Amino acid sequence: MNQYRFHYFGLAALCIALAIGTVPDAAEPDRLVVYSGRAERLIKPLLDSFQASTGIQVDLLSSGTTEVVNRLQAEGERTPADLLITNDAGSLERARELGLLRPPTAPNNTAAIPAQFRAADNSWIGLSGRFWVVVYNTTLVKPTDLRSLLDLAEPRWKDRIAIPNAGSEYLQAGISVIKTVYGDDRTKRFLDGLKVNAGTQVYGKSSQIVEAVAKGQVALGVVNHYYVYRHLATQPDAPIAVLMPDQHEGGMGAIINVSGAGIVTHARHAESAKRLMNYLVSEEGQKQFSDLNKEYPLHPLVAADPALPPYKTTRVAPVPLTQLGKLREPAMALIEQAGLR
Amino acid sequence: MNQAAAVKPAFPDSLSLAALAVAGLLCLPLAYVAYMALTANAAIWSRLWTTRIPELLFNTTALALGVAAGTLVLGVSLAWLVARREFPGRQIWEWALVLPLAIPTYVLAYIYSHLLGTGGPVESAWQVLAGPGSHLLSPHSYAGVTLVMTLDTFPFVYLLARAAFLNLNVSYEEVARACGASRAGTLFRITLPLMRPAIVAGLSLVILYVVSDFGAVSLLRYQTLTYAVYQQITGRYDPTAASILSLLLVVVALIFLVAERWFRQRSRFFQTTGRYRAPARRQCGPLAATLATVYTTGVFAASFGVPACMLAMWSVSAVSSGAVDARFFGFVWNSAFLSGLAATCAVLIGLPLAYLASRRPSRVNLLCLQAAYAGYVLPGPVGALALLAIVSHLAPFWYGTAAVLVIAYVVHFLPAGLQSMEPALQQVTPNLEEASRSLGFGTAATLRRVTLPLVQSGFIAAWVLMFLQSMKELPATLLLRPVGFDTLAVRVWLEASEEYYQLAAPSALLIVIITIPAILLLLSKDWRAA
Repeated sequence: MNQYRFHYFGLAALCIALAIGTVPDAAEPDRLVVYSGRAERLIKPLLDSFQASTGIQVDLLSSGTTEVVNRLQAEGERTPADLLITNDAGSLERARELGLLRPPTAPNNTAAIPAQFRAADNSWIGLSGRFWVVVYNTTLVKPTDLRSLLDLAEPRWKDRIAIPNAGSEYLQAGISVIKTVYGDDRTKRFLDGLKVNAGTQVYGKSSQIVEAVAKGQVALGVVNHYYVYRHLATQPDAPIAVLMPDQHEGGMGAIINVSGAGIVTHARHAESAKRLMNYLVSEEGQKQFSDLNKEYPLHPLVAADPALPPYKTTRVAPVPLTQLGKLREPAMALIEQAGLR
Repeated sequence: MNQAAAVKPAFPDSLSLAALAVAGLLCLPLAYVAYMALTANAAIWSRLWTTRIPELLFNTTALALGVAAGTLVLGVSLAWLVARREFPGRQIWEWALVLPLAIPTYVLAYIYSHLLGTGGPVESAWQVLAGPGSHLLSPHSYAGVTLVMTLDTFPFVYLLARAAFLNLNVSYEEVARACGASRAGTLFRITLPLMRPAIVAGLSLVILYVVSDFGAVSLLRYQTLTYAVYQQITGRYDPTAASILSLLLVVVALIFLVAERWFRQRSRFFQTTGRYRAPARRQCGPLAATLATVYTTGVFAASFGVPACMLAMWSVSAVSSGAVDARFFGFVWNSAFLSGLAATCAVLIGLPLAYLASRRPSRVNLLCLQAAYAGYVLPGPVGALALLAIVSHLAPFWYGTAAVLVIAYVVHFLPAGLQSMEPALQQVTPNLEEASRSLGFGTAATLRRVTLPLVQSGFIAAWVLMFLQSMKELPATLLLRPVGFDTLAVRVWLEASEEYYQLAAPSALLIVIITIPAILLLLSKDWRAA
């Protein structure tokens, strides 16, 4: 009996031994660790099909973009990560500036992606494009009711708009662009109005904003375009539509951003990571971004979903993606001064 | 006391040093947060004071007080009903009203966000009655969050109030009645004032729970300090603002904790003898019995019955669409593995602390034990923030491994475990250990063959409690999980926060199912005593 009781301690020792045993082993060959800042369901299908076709096992850590960049930085050379995927070019630029990404040593088939969607030294490559658009409830709003993102700060929209929270990389990138085009004062006023108009309708996920607009909880929201089209793909009768903002003559143009990927400086499986990168920018991979996610493929030979506003005829805001990294800190300062949640 | 001092120490003195080291490590996260916040740039402090802090402090306190008021009414009234009145089904309600404790806040929050949300079943039904365009309370509001948290935490007050109702010496009440006080007068002027310590203890549990909750407030988008700390950690490159908000959160939790201690000191009641007979239950008339049944059924349905049915229904459709696959069982294993490891480590760490404090209550040893309670005022995101920084400086090879997560669980949940390990050790009289030593057993044999068997049940209870809490833990797990190491709690939150309610259901249901027998086991001791 007494000996039996002492077995708890044996069990404890076993547990601890097991825990030590499960610390990831660096030497495994066909394994790849991906840190992703994108919603899991937007990226996992692609990684699964890569895994199925190559037999390379992909382990995915799916979290917020800023969070995974912070983590990569803290882990330094001990990081288990091989590939970084994010939802925002600004974060990729920041990772590059911090020396977390390694530029490719030899040219490879990522060359298909046009130059404006990649880092100057190619250490990150854009995978898919997205516009930051206004989604509106068609029973509550007419498409002629507003034409610019800045209109969202007008008092008539009080308690009628939904916005992402201050931690959203889309919002941070969007404000970076607005600040560059319109200057600090105009941007500050915009943020103050946005804060008042949104009230408690501040969301952590873009899909929730689309949902709130579809239910009529709010009249308008700001999101990346594909959340709207994904919602419409499953619920075609939802009373929502996309308004591409700032398209008028002399307008700023729509704010574009890309999701992208870069190979981590201290990657242990750099070869496999390179294969995954090549897969993601190949026509096959790009088609999945288009079909599954409703994003704009960046490969010139792959067509976007015909339901989307055509990229070629859309007026785009004149701020290069590579600038988004440098613009981030000053934009954050404005956002925090305004006290956005 | 003399006996305790006379016993040869059962552990070598290096144990004291180990205890000191462990206590120091347990306090490190708190110290780190305080250091980061207090050395932060004054400009960041003033920016936060002018923008976020007033709103966050107000929201956090308002929620804590609102939920405290709600649980006070629900908990005490239900305890009074089942302890003092007899009505059909009373014995079933007596234990069924504890079941809401098995539902984590983030699960109840997401179910209510569906039920009460725009276009949800409750609103649709209401619009049939009250006409289209009318709205009931939104789950994404102060009232909504208060409702959800109240339904989830009232059993804390209920349990303690029920025990107090049953253990009260009925003589006081009989004297009051004999002196001509009415029944209601006796209840409000004699019984309830005597129960103050129990009620305050229950409320302080509720308040600490609410202040450090992340799950419900994040899913219902209600801005509290805990939620804001999480948002700062995940949305910013600079952790300074997060640590300032963390320090404030710790201070708020401490204020509530100290207030409770102070109140308990002031209102200490002594009962010279034990109760000499159980209080009688009055039989309810038909009308009163119906009202009692409707009330208890209503509270039970809202807090457990309906949510459990929703989870079961959603799970069925999730299973039939193939959501329960090998990956799902991986999450189950991750949860079981991490929680089992954390609970085991916590018991092993708690043992020397509790042993030294009860056998050699020197000032240093007692201080070590107190230090272990620091985790109480360290909500999940705060602990995670501190550990991320500490580990990256002191033990970078652990960064991103399961070890950090296990440490976070141990720091956060050891206080709860100690509360059942400490009394277990104190109840073992040192005479038994002395006798064992005088009969020729060594220190190790005495520990193994006398002390441990005697404290076993208390330690198992502590293990189960810490296992459950680790399994349900959300914010620290989200922030610290290693690659590919999602737990059930993380899956529920990830799916629910994108409104994939059905996909979240199997994991949520499994957490509830595992928790129920454990809760009943933990309560069974308290049950017999009552």
